Amino acid sequence: MRRALKQLAGARQPAAADPEVLRELRMLRSRVPHLTGALAVGAGGALLAEDAPGARNGPLAALTATVLADALRLVETADRGRFRELLVRGESGYVAAYAAGPATFLAVLAEPRANVGRVHLEARRTGARIARLAAGADEGPQEG
Amino acid sequence: MANVETSLKEAMTAIEGSLGAALVDYTSGMALGTVGGGKDLDLNVAAAGNTDVVRAKVRTMEMLGLKDEIEDILITLGGQYHLIRLLRARGSNGLFLYLALDKARANLAMARHQLRRIEAELEI
Repeated sequence: MRRALKQLAGARQPAAADPEVLRELRMLRSRVPHLTGALAVGAGGALLAEDAPGARNGPLAALTATVLADALRLVETADRGRFRELLVRGESGYVAAYAAGPATFLAVLAEPRANVGRVHLEARRTGARIARLAAGADEGPQEG
Repeated sequence: MANVETSLKEAMTAIEGSLGAALVDYTSGMALGTVGGGKDLDLNVAAAGNTDVVRAKVRTMEMLGLKDEIEDILITLGGQYHLIRLLRARGSNGLFLYLALDKARANLAMARHQLRRIEAELEI
C-alpha cells in the first residue's frame, strides 16, 4: 500500500469516469445533507470518478494522494495499523478522505454545518463499496 | 456534579428498561460518550441520525417563528421509547442526551424525570 501511495503522489494520468463508482458517489452526495462533493481517487492519483461541482478536482485528487502518503506514514509510525480515514476541518468546511481498497481513496467535501457523524458513517460504507468495485476491476487487464 | 461517563452509567442503571444512552454533539453528529447499545443498537449511528432529528426540529421552530427552546423529544416505537433531552446548562450548548428504553419495562414519566435529574448533575 505504501508503494501504491508513492505512485499515487507521483505520475498521474487522466482516466475515464467509472459509471459504477460515479453512481456510488452520487448516492453518497444525495444521502448526506451539506456534503458538497465526492471524488474517487485511484492509483497514480488519477480521478476515477467525481461528483463535486465547483471544486478544483484535478489538483484536489493529486493533492489528496500526496497528503494521504504522509497520513499513511504517520499512522504506520504511530503504530496504529492500516490507514482508515483522515478529516481536515477548515473555517468553511471539511475535507475528508477514506480508504476504499488497497490503492483507492474516497475524498469528500462538506459544508461546516454537515453532520460529521453521518458523513463518516455513509462515506465508510461508500468506501467499502468502491473497494469492492475496484477489486472487481483489478481482475481485468491492468497495467503495471 | 458528575462527568459524562458517570452520568451515562447512571442513566443505564437508574432508569428502568434502559437499552443504551449517549451524549451527542449535534453540531457535528458525533457522540461524546456512549453506554450500552450493542449489535441491535449502534449508538454511533443513533447519534448521527438523531442529530438530524434535532436539527430538523430546531429548523421547523425557526420557520414557525417560535421563540422557544426544545426541552425534550420523545419517539415512540412499537417496542421502544427513544428520549432526546437537550442540554441547557452553561457550556453545554449543542449537546443532547439520547436514551433508548424497552417499552415493556420502562416507566416513561419516571424515565423523563430521572433524565432531567441526570442532566442537571452533568458537568461537561
